Amino acid sequence: MDTIVTAGKLNNEEIFNLLKQFITEVIGEEFAEEMDISMESSFNKDLEMDSIEIVAFSEKIKAHFGDKIDFTGWLSDMDIDQLIALKLGMIVKFIETCQ
Amino acid sequence: MPIISVNNRDVHIQELNTAASETILLVHGMLGNLSVYYFRIAPILAKHFHVVMYDLKSHGMSEKITTGYDLNSLTDDVAHLMERLSISSAYLAGYSFGGLISLKMAVRFPHRVKKLVLIDAPNPNDDKTRMMMDAYNRESLENYLNGPNKTKPGKRLIDRKHRLYEHLFHETTIKRDVMGERDFFSAAEIAQVKQETLLLYGCYSPCLEAGESLKGKISNAALVALNGDHDIPLQEPEKIGNMMESFFRNQMAQA
Repeated sequence: MDTIVTAGKLNNEEIFNLLKQFITEVIGEEFAEEMDISMESSFNKDLEMDSIEIVAFSEKIKAHFGDKIDFTGWLSDMDIDQLIALKLGMIVKFIETCQ
Repeated sequence: MPIISVNNRDVHIQELNTAASETILLVHGMLGNLSVYYFRIAPILAKHFHVVMYDLKSHGMSEKITTGYDLNSLTDDVAHLMERLSISSAYLAGYSFGGLISLKMAVRFPHRVKKLVLIDAPNPNDDKTRMMMDAYNRESLENYLNGPNKTKPGKRLIDRKHRLYEHLFHETTIKRDVMGERDFFSAAEIAQVKQETLLLYGCYSPCLEAGESLKGKISNAALVALNGDHDIPLQEPEKIGNMMESFFRNQMAQA
């Protein structure tokens, strides 16, 4: 299930672990185990996620946080190069700020 | 991920602003997926419209299907999807091969299409697509992906693309079906399209000539050449989103 009900604010580490879980669900455990997923990981270059997988990842964030986080709105301000270079730590920071 | 069953096949869709009364349906191109709209163009359109994006069969996260890549079958798919979502008519936009699907929708189901936007839709008579499909192998894919001005992708990304291309070119009827549409632009039915049509093309795109040809065939069409090539939705997403929104909203204001 994509939808998880959360209570209260998450700290940096909790957000990171949640996003790591989402990435694992999208790309599969087999690949996720091979990757060293960190705050510095970029979606395209490091995690080798393609555009439809980033859509799936975005949907998981939307389903989890609901209206509290306008994740796709935030992404829509980025051009394609910024999207490709986006690092996990930047998303953690964005979610932390929005909470 | 919203996967819905349409005619017993799994179709991946994404919807935005479901509360809006008017719908825009977005069709992506061959070898692509709905992400071409999802990040930049759809959010602009969703300010005032219900936006529906879907992955074509075998593309993105939709089910792999071996047959039915001709424009009649692909427009049947669109019509069934609209029925499944209870959308009687919609503003329709398609990119590249998705533009041909959208144009065919206006031809076959005019009552379902309020207005049309075709983004860099190619002339199916162009041999380049056939040559690319005939010559395809993993090496040609790697050469293309490692070409100048491209970020070298990793093995996993190449594998995923290769699996899609292998499936489409070697396990489905797509080559034969697409070649069967060679004369689509010469068909008299295109002249019968009455919907107001906006043709958005890259001024450096090899498809621009196709846009000029369509402008001459569709009675109520305007052509705008934007600064870019065939990748224009990625190069000018904001401009395309805003132009589409304004084009579709004009009719709403007049209605």
